[in-house]
Amino acid sequence: MRERLRFLDSRMILPMILMVIMGMLTVYSAGRGTSQSSLWLKQSVWNLLGFLALAAVAAVNPLRTFRSALPLYILGILSLAAVLVAGHRIGGAQRWLVIGRLTWQPSELMKWLTLLFVAHRLGARPLRDITAWDLIGASTLVLFPMLLVLKQPDLGMAISFLPILLLIPLLKGLKARWVLAAVLGVSLLGVFSWQKVLKPYQKQRVMTFLDPGADLQGKGYQINQSRIAIGSGGLFGQGFTSGSQTQLNFLPVKTTDFVFSVWAEERGFLGVLLALGLFGAVISRILDTARVAKTAAETYFCVGAAGIITLHLVVNVGMVVGLLPNKGIVLPFFSAGGSSTLSYFLGLGVVMAVRYRAKTK
Amino acid sequence: MEIQQRTLIQKRIGIMKTLAWFLILWLVLAYARVQIWKGREMQKLALAQAVKTRTTPAPRGLIFDRNSNKLVDNRRALHLVIQFEDLPRDPGQIEALAAALQTDPDQLKRRVVAIRQAAGNRMLVLQDNLDDVAVARAEVLRARFPFLSIEVAPRRVYLGEDLAGHALGYVGEVTPEELAKDPGNYQLGEIIGRSGFEAARNDRLKGVDGQRRILVDNLGREVATYGVQEARPGRSVYLTMDAGLQQTMKEAFGATQGAGVVLDLRDGGILALYSSPSYDPNVFLNRLTQEQVEKYWDNPDRPMLDRVTQGRYPPGSTFKLLVAIAALEKGIITPATTFTCRGHKSFYGRDFRCDAVHGTVNLVQAIAQSCDIYFYELGARLDIDDIYNTAKKYGLTELTGVDLPHEVRSRVPSRAWKQQVKHEKWYAGETISVAIGQGANSLTPIALARFYAMIATHGKLLTPHLLYGVRQENSNDIDLFQPAAPKDTGLDAGIWATLDEGLYQVVHSGTAQASAIPGLTMVGKTGTSQVTSFVDKAHYASLAKKLRDNALFAGYAPRENPQIAFAVVAENAGFGASSAAPIARKLCQYWFIDRLKKPLPPPGAKLPDAFRLDPDLGGEDDVAR
Repeated sequence: MRERLRFLDSRMILPMILMVIMGMLTVYSAGRGTSQSSLWLKQSVWNLLGFLALAAVAAVNPLRTFRSALPLYILGILSLAAVLVAGHRIGGAQRWLVIGRLTWQPSELMKWLTLLFVAHRLGARPLRDITAWDLIGASTLVLFPMLLVLKQPDLGMAISFLPILLLIPLLKGLKARWVLAAVLGVSLLGVFSWQKVLKPYQKQRVMTFLDPGADLQGKGYQINQSRIAIGSGGLFGQGFTSGSQTQLNFLPVKTTDFVFSVWAEERGFLGVLLALGLFGAVISRILDTARVAKTAAETYFCVGAAGIITLHLVVNVGMVVGLLPNKGIVLPFFSAGGSSTLSYFLGLGVVMAVRYRAKTK
Repeated sequence: MEIQQRTLIQKRIGIMKTLAWFLILWLVLAYARVQIWKGREMQKLALAQAVKTRTTPAPRGLIFDRNSNKLVDNRRALHLVIQFEDLPRDPGQIEALAAALQTDPDQLKRRVVAIRQAAGNRMLVLQDNLDDVAVARAEVLRARFPFLSIEVAPRRVYLGEDLAGHALGYVGEVTPEELAKDPGNYQLGEIIGRSGFEAARNDRLKGVDGQRRILVDNLGREVATYGVQEARPGRSVYLTMDAGLQQTMKEAFGATQGAGVVLDLRDGGILALYSSPSYDPNVFLNRLTQEQVEKYWDNPDRPMLDRVTQGRYPPGSTFKLLVAIAALEKGIITPATTFTCRGHKSFYGRDFRCDAVHGTVNLVQAIAQSCDIYFYELGARLDIDDIYNTAKKYGLTELTGVDLPHEVRSRVPSRAWKQQVKHEKWYAGETISVAIGQGANSLTPIALARFYAMIATHGKLLTPHLLYGVRQENSNDIDLFQPAAPKDTGLDAGIWATLDEGLYQVVHSGTAQASAIPGLTMVGKTGTSQVTSFVDKAHYASLAKKLRDNALFAGYAPRENPQIAFAVVAENAGFGASSAAPIARKLCQYWFIDRLKKPLPPPGAKLPDAFRLDPDLGGEDDVAR
């Protein structure tokens, strides 16, 4: 048995298992007494499937995985197009494909497929020969699915494609003039669109995005309740299923976007430290894998994966405590949701395959 | 990959790793700030929105008359409300609710905003006093709008309806202005007496509200209850009023406008107090319709005015007794002094008239016949300040101290008054008019009654009051109210005897002979005066109603051993003898004769402790379901 699971990296899989258990307990507690009371069971099935998928991918030589990157990417683009054409609509957003009893959100997996394909393409060339045109091409490969996701609309999800672009500074480094040029370009574009392009209601949306406190009834209200939940956790927490903010439903969307507030309320600052430490351990391990990877494509994939996980962590955990604007974005391992769970496990499966190949030579 | 490039990439990955840990540290610091630095504060906020204190309104004390007839009862009433924390935020929801309730959505939105901005957790009452059908409908609505709730609150029921509207008054929610003026005394949303006895003795009638601490969820639904403190109902209050006498007075007035009050000469207790037109206090428990506002508040007849304590009438001839006292005390006349009446006489170059040619009359005859000439002569010999000082001595210039709100002070003119109010000096000719109770004189009926009670008691000034006693909390014993001790004015016995004889002759041989009651010596003085200023004269003119005089009658009974004093004013009714005195006669007839004729119950039966004023209006057990 041990021999069979040798391709699973224990220093990555153990923190993941721990977090998944923490996540399921939290979803159980958050769903208690609501229509989502059995969601934790559903989520544990997804987690199980996730681990199986992870093991399956981890057992495959990453070179073989990279070989199917292009068809997978095209399949992903097609699925996003299908969402826009025939997707399921919930509350003004069209993000889901319904297949039988299954609701699938293709954009979750598309992040990883995009990363896979971009890493594959950039990795195919010697580092020295990579030109600005290659980078522009890679950026286009990222921006195209991003635009399709924005069209749904799903800004939070679109943002989570951005870490893939981390590969550019990885390859070319951060030159001061490039940073300056980028900042200048973005701000010029911003000023121009603010004055000439955006309609008043769009400006209003941007304002709400920048200052959630101004909209206390809607998104600002959610953040406020979330802060109260987190704060009342104190150092040691209110205890399992004992947080008033969670149990009395003051906390909104508490099984997905705000699941970390539930954890913080029940387990306090110590629980938060534990969770953030485990995330740190996983991210570190992914980046360590990037260092030891055999091929450039493998390295790129791992860096992108670390970027995606870090972005989700910072944006979600920062958002629920009010550090960042309120944008719907899930927290890996904690938030309930089939598409995202399966996608993370698949992505990390590739990382593990990379590690196994580097270790075994 | 070349070594050089590979190390460069390795280095950059290292930077990224450091960066990732810095981001995590940033999160840790943010959480430390909220959870450790601000943890207490956030815990308080969490408690504040989850733990609510709901007030259980205490029922007010019941009100009985002096014979334990129930006048005011409480019933449980159901209201459809939205609790403060349930107020809907979504305008669409408010519109849907307004459509379901068939009300104006904009108005409902405004009310929601107003309640949300008001201090304190006040609930929004959508519909009050629900009947069976409305409760069923409200339950259906609650299924659609879970933020609605049905609250139980005690509700006043005035069993006699308009029997004693002005005396009892009515209740209503405390206004923001009152709250701002006296925040220690009231709570937001508290039901307090708005007028009449309910307002004057609010402190005795109100109970102590109970409190319930409950745990609510985000929709304000009660999840758990703890810390219940029961409401303590207000104590039952007994009035000096006699419901039967009050009923007699109401019937005696009928459609006639005016006011009447009967005082118990033992302690100043008010046996009956009626202001006509009366009103039904039950009407004022609800939001008034436009029609009702017009009927009660915008009516030129001013039905909301308690004419007994707030209506001022020129006293007419009923004032002559005070002028007589002033003249006798000053030694201008003796009881035997006579003046000759030829029907009219000239004073200060102006002709003053009398109703008849009375010939030569002494003081007693002048009172009995209500001869104006006699009192003009006194007025010509008295200074206005003599009259004022006498009035002051016998309590006519002060408030009677009755336990009803907003009592108006009677007015007896003086030099100082005219200087102050009209910035003119007093002319001696004006004193002539004042001597027969006209001119700037105006008295409230309750002050007039108190003045005649003073005569009846040989000079004691009583404090009229409605509060008889308060039932003890855990027994049927009554803590009797101790009225203020009567003030002795030191009325000379000789003067008293003359006045008493004069008042006797009024009914025996004078202007009010027709109102004599066989076997009972009721005494009193008639009066007639011009219509007062508080009724809109233009209104009467527009109705082409003839402006007639107000009729007054004030006195006491029985002469030998006085027990009650009274004052009756019938507005726009002509002579005092023909319209006010018969009302007084009916009061005495009831009090001294009819009341005592009521048959006793058969042996063994329960004594009638409560004759039902209206059998259809039930007792405490009636519940609007």
